[in-house]
Amino acid sequence: MPQSIKRYSYITDRLALVDGKTLPVAAAEATEEGNFLTLLYRSLGIDYPKFFKMDSLSKLGFLASELILKDESPRFTPREDVAVVCLNRSSSLSTDVQHQASIQHEDSCYPSPSVFVYTLPNIVAGEIAIRNKLLGETSFYVCREWSAQLLLRMASLSFCDACTRAVLAAWVERFDGVSEAFMMLVERDGLSGIPFSAEHVEMLYQNTKTQNT
Amino acid sequence: MEELILQLKQEIIKVLNLEDVKPETIADDAPLFGDGLGLDSIDALELIVLMEKTYGIKLEDPARGREIFKSIRVMAEYIHANRRK
Repeated sequence: MPQSIKRYSYITDRLALVDGKTLPVAAAEATEEGNFLTLLYRSLGIDYPKFFKMDSLSKLGFLASELILKDESPRFTPREDVAVVCLNRSSSLSTDVQHQASIQHEDSCYPSPSVFVYTLPNIVAGEIAIRNKLLGETSFYVCREWSAQLLLRMASLSFCDACTRAVLAAWVERFDGVSEAFMMLVERDGLSGIPFSAEHVEMLYQNTKTQNT
Repeated sequence: MEELILQLKQEIIKVLNLEDVKPETIADDAPLFGDGLGLDSIDALELIVLMEKTYGIKLEDPARGREIFKSIRVMAEYIHANRRK
C-alpha cells in the first residue's frame, strides 16, 4: 500500500495553516519578531513551559508538529514506529549568529548555555521527539534549497526500517528574514489521504506558500 | 537583602525565559530545582553565567552550585557575601 500524507501544516512569522486552512491567530497583535509564534502557542492552549526556552527554529518545528499531532490519539505514549525527518537551508545559523555575538569581545565574553544548546539544527527534531515521546529515527539534513524530491527521498528512507509506520517530514527554515515550517504526517499504510509523491508534496508546499503572499 | 532577592527573581525569570512566572509567585525559600521552579542542568549553567556577568562572582567549582542554588534566599545571601559588582 502506498504511503500517504494524513495531515500537513505550514507556519511563518505571521500565519499558520493546517491542511490548507488558515488558523485564526491575530498576526496584527504580534508586534515583535517571534511574537506570532507565542500567540500561536497560546491560542493552541498548550502547557509546555520549555517552549519559551527554545530558539525560534525549534519553536517553528515544535508548533508545526503540534498543529499536526494535537488531535492524534493516543498522544504522549512512547512510539518507536514514528520518525522525524527535517530539512532546511540555513541550518541553525539564526542562533549561531546570536551565540557568536556573545563571544565576540574578550572583555565581555559571556556565552549563554541555553543559546549554545540550540547551535545544532537537529535539536528541532529532538524537541519534537521529546515532547511526543517519539523513539523512532530523528534526523535533520541541510541542503541547498527547498526540494520536494529530497524531502520525499529522505522520509522514504525512514520507511526502509520495517518498524516505521509514520514519519513527520518537514522543511524548517529560519534565517535572514525567512521563517517557514512546512510539515507533513506521512503514514505507511494510510487508508486515505494525499499520495506521498514529489508532485503532491510540491503542490501542497506551493499552495500553502501562496497563501502567505 | 529583600531588594536583592527581588532583583534576583527578576533576573532569573529573564535569563531563564520563565515566561509565565512572576517574581511574587517564587517563594524565597522554595527549591529552585526539582519540585520548585523545576529548573534543569542548562538552567544551572545559566545561573553560573548570571553570577559572573552581573555580580562578578566566578564559581570555580560548578559542583558548589548544588548548595548555592538551593533557593533564592540562599543564592542572594551568597551573592551578598561574595559580590564584586
